[in-house]
Amino acid sequence: MMRYRLEKRPEPSKLMLYGTPVAAVVLTMILGCLLFSAIGYNGLRAVQEIFLTPLTNPYKWQDLGIKAAPLIIIGTGLSVAYRANVWNIGAEGQYIIGALAATGVALMTWGMSGWWILPLMAIAGMAAGMAYASVPAFLKTRLNVNEILTSLMLTYASVQLIYYLIRGPWKDPMGIGFPQSRLFSEAARLPNIIPGTIVHLGVPIAVIVALIAWFVMSKTVFGYRMRVVGAAPHAARYGGFSETKTIWLAMLVSGGLAGLAGMLEVAGPFQRMVPGFPTNYGFTAIIVAFLGRLNPLGVIVAGVVLAITFVGGQVAQTTIGLPDEATGIFQAMMLFLLLAGDILVRYRIRRVSPEASVGAA
Amino acid sequence: MPNRLELTGITKQFPGVLANDHVSFAVKPGEIHALLGENGAGKSTLVKMIYGIMQPDAGEIRWNGEPVVVANPKAARKLGIGMVFQHFSLFEALTVLENIALGMDAKIPSRELESRIREVMETYGLALDPHRTVATLSVGERQRIEIVRALLLNPQLLIMDEPTSVLTPQEVEQLFTVLRKLAAEGCSILYISHKLHEIKALCDTATILRGGKLVDTCDPKEETSRSMAEKMIGTGLKDIVKAEGRAFGQPKLVVNRLSTGKTGHFDVPVDNVSFTVRAGEILGVAGVAGNGQNALLDALSGELIGDDREAITIDGHGIGLMNTTERRRQGLCAVPEERNGHAAVGDFTLSDNSVLTARDRLGMVMMGLINSGAAKTYTGKVIADFAVKALGPASTAGSLSGGNLQKYIMGREILQKPSVLVVSQPTWGVDAGAAAAIHQALVDLAAAGSAIVVISQDLDELRALCDTLAVINMGRLSAARPVKDFSVEEIGLLMGGVHGSMETA
Repeated sequence: MMRYRLEKRPEPSKLMLYGTPVAAVVLTMILGCLLFSAIGYNGLRAVQEIFLTPLTNPYKWQDLGIKAAPLIIIGTGLSVAYRANVWNIGAEGQYIIGALAATGVALMTWGMSGWWILPLMAIAGMAAGMAYASVPAFLKTRLNVNEILTSLMLTYASVQLIYYLIRGPWKDPMGIGFPQSRLFSEAARLPNIIPGTIVHLGVPIAVIVALIAWFVMSKTVFGYRMRVVGAAPHAARYGGFSETKTIWLAMLVSGGLAGLAGMLEVAGPFQRMVPGFPTNYGFTAIIVAFLGRLNPLGVIVAGVVLAITFVGGQVAQTTIGLPDEATGIFQAMMLFLLLAGDILVRYRIRRVSPEASVGAA
Repeated sequence: MPNRLELTGITKQFPGVLANDHVSFAVKPGEIHALLGENGAGKSTLVKMIYGIMQPDAGEIRWNGEPVVVANPKAARKLGIGMVFQHFSLFEALTVLENIALGMDAKIPSRELESRIREVMETYGLALDPHRTVATLSVGERQRIEIVRALLLNPQLLIMDEPTSVLTPQEVEQLFTVLRKLAAEGCSILYISHKLHEIKALCDTATILRGGKLVDTCDPKEETSRSMAEKMIGTGLKDIVKAEGRAFGQPKLVVNRLSTGKTGHFDVPVDNVSFTVRAGEILGVAGVAGNGQNALLDALSGELIGDDREAITIDGHGIGLMNTTERRRQGLCAVPEERNGHAAVGDFTLSDNSVLTARDRLGMVMMGLINSGAAKTYTGKVIADFAVKALGPASTAGSLSGGNLQKYIMGREILQKPSVLVVSQPTWGVDAGAAAAIHQALVDLAAAGSAIVVISQDLDELRALCDTLAVINMGRLSAARPVKDFSVEEIGLLMGGVHGSMETA
C-alpha cells in the first residue's frame, strides 16, 4: 500500500507561499462548479459569471474599484495586526463606528461648505475606529480577555447603534418616516475622480494606504516589531519590544483603518447613513488579509479578487438566478482552501516507500 | 558467544546530509560501549535506527548474531533494547508509578507493577518513592524514573543518550554505579556522550564518529581526553589562551539583593542574589538545570524588570528599572539559553536577527527606518569572524544547525563589544572546535575590560573559563570565590543545596 507522509521543509517554500493563494482560487472555481452543478444549476456558467464576467465586461470595472477599495483598506489594517498575532475579528464594528462618526460630522456641518469638512470626517472616522478597537485592546492587555471574542461581539453592538441613531436623533426630517439620515451636503460627499463613472476618491486612497503600509511593514522598526512579535513573542521581549504596546499598536492601526474605510464608504457610495450600511466588508477583509498573505501588496490583489466575487455574484443572480448566498459560499471556500493549503508552505508531502516500513518478524 | 549488537555498513541519507556513512561496529555482552562525536556527527541518527525510530537506507543490524529489522521502538523493546532519552517524557502532574504504567507496552496491574518497581529500585540502589508527583522531583530523580522504566523490561542492551548533562557530580557517580552493576550482570550499555573524562571513567570501548563516518574504535582507558577530542574534531585542539595573573579593574556589574517574582507554576525565581563582577573578570554561575538560572538571566537582561533601581548597577549606574533596550544602550548584552525563538527568530534572516539586538548599539535605525545595509554588513562580519556555516546574511536562522546558530548569536553579541555580557549555556550543544572558539572570544572580551557572567551546567567549561565561581541552588546564589579554591566535590555539594558556612545572608 502506498503511504504518504508530511515532512518538514528546512526552509518555508517561497513557491508555495505565493502559489497556494493562486491554487486556492483555482480550486474554488473547480469545486464551486461541481457543487452548483450537483444542486441543479449550470455550474460552469456560475463560475464564469462570478469570476470572469466582472473582468471581461468593462462596465463592471468601476464596480470592482469601489468594492475593492474598502476591502483593501480594512484588509491592510488587519494584515498588520495579524502579523503580530493580534486577532482583531471586529473590523466590521470599527468600520461601522467610523462611518457613524463621519456621519455625525457630516450632519453637524450640514448645509455648510468648505474643503475641511471631508478631512474632518476622515479624522473623526479613524479616531472612532481606533476608540472602538481600544476596548478589546484594553481588555486584552489588562485582564487578558481574548480579543477575538470581544472585538467580534462589539460588532453586533455597533449595528444596533446605527438603528438607534437613524430612527432617533439622526432621522431624516424629509424622509417620510424612512429610517435613514438626511443626504449629506455636497461638501461632505466624496468627489468622483473619473467623470461619468461612480469611481470616487476612496479608490486611489486605498491603493496609497496599502503602499504606505507595505513600506512601513518592510522598512521600519514599527513593521519589524509587528513581525517579530508575531513570529516569536519570546524573542520580541528579548529584543526589547513590549507585548502590551504591540497589542495596542496593532489594534489601533487596524481599527483606525477600518474606521477610515467606513468614512469613505458612507461619504462615497452611500452619501447618507441607512440601515443597510453594514455589508460585511469588515468580515470579508479577513479573507482578503489572508489571501494576500498578510502582505499589503498582496492585499491589493486579494481585494480585487474578492471584489470580483461580489460583483460577479450580483451578475450571476440576474443572469442565471444564482442565490445571493452563492457569493458567500465561494468566498468561504476560498478561505478554507487557502488555510488548508498553508501547511504546504512549511511541509512537503513525501511518499513513503512501502519496503522501508516492513515490520519486524 | 555472539556479539550482542553488530552493525555492518549502516548508511542513512537525509536531504542534503549523509548522516551515517557505512558505519560498522559491535557491542559485546556486558560491555559499556561509548558512542562519541561532536554535534551533527550522526550519533543520534545511529541510535534512532538501533531503537527502531528510523530505518537505515543500507546496512545490516545483527542482534545476538541474528540479522533483524527493527520496525519501531516497540519491536526494539521486544528484542530487549531499552533507551533512556536526553529529554524525558514524563507528565509532571502524575506520580512516578502512573508515569511508568503509562509507558508500559503490556498492561500490568498497578499493585504488581509497584512491587516490580520496588524490586528493581532495590537491586540497583535507585532511591525513589513511587507515589511522589513528578513535579516535585529533581532532574536526577526524574532520570531515575526513565531508567527504572527501561530496566523493568529486563533489557539486554541499554542506550543512554547524554545522560549526565543535567546531573550533579554526585548524581553522576550514583548513575555510574548503577550502570557498572548492570554491565556486570551481562547487560550491554551504549553510552552516548561528548564528556571525555566520563567515558574514560566508565566505558570499556569507545566508537568515535565524525561527519557520519566511523573514525576509530579505541579503548578509552589507553587514550587521553585530548587524543579522543582530537579524533572527534579531526584537528588539533586549541587551549584557551588566558593571560596569567591578570588584575581586575573596578567593580562593573554590581547586583545587590536581587529577587524576582514567581512567574510560572514550576519556575524557580531568583531569591535575594548579590554578586559583583569587576572589569576583566569572568564570573561563572554553576548549578543543576532548573534552579533559577533562567530567572537570573531574564532579571539581568531586562526581560524581567524588578522594582528596585539599585538592585543592578553598571559602573554605579542603577539599571534595575530599565527594559532590555535601555540596558543594551548602557552596555549590557545578554544571551538566553534557548536559541530558536528566544535569542533568535527562526523564520527571520540572520540579517533581520541582527536588528533584534544590535539595532541601537550599532546605529541600524535612523528615524524609525531600518538600515538593512548596515545590518547585512554587520551580519557578514559575524559570519566571517565566528566561522558560522551559513550561505550568507540572507539565510534564515532556522536553517542553521544548533551549533552554528549559537556561534552566530554569540558573535552577534560579542562583536557589539558590550561592557557587561551575561550568557547562559554559551556552548550547549556546540561541537568542541566551536566551543573553543566561543570560549576564546569570551576570554578576549574580558581581557579588553568587559565584565562577563557565564551561567552554565557544564562544570568543565566553567572551571576552564571563569575567574570566579558561584553556585545557584533553588534561586539562591552562594558567595563567589576564585575558581581554583573550589574542589569538584565542594561545587557538587553546593549544587545539591548544601550551603554550609558559605551561605550568603
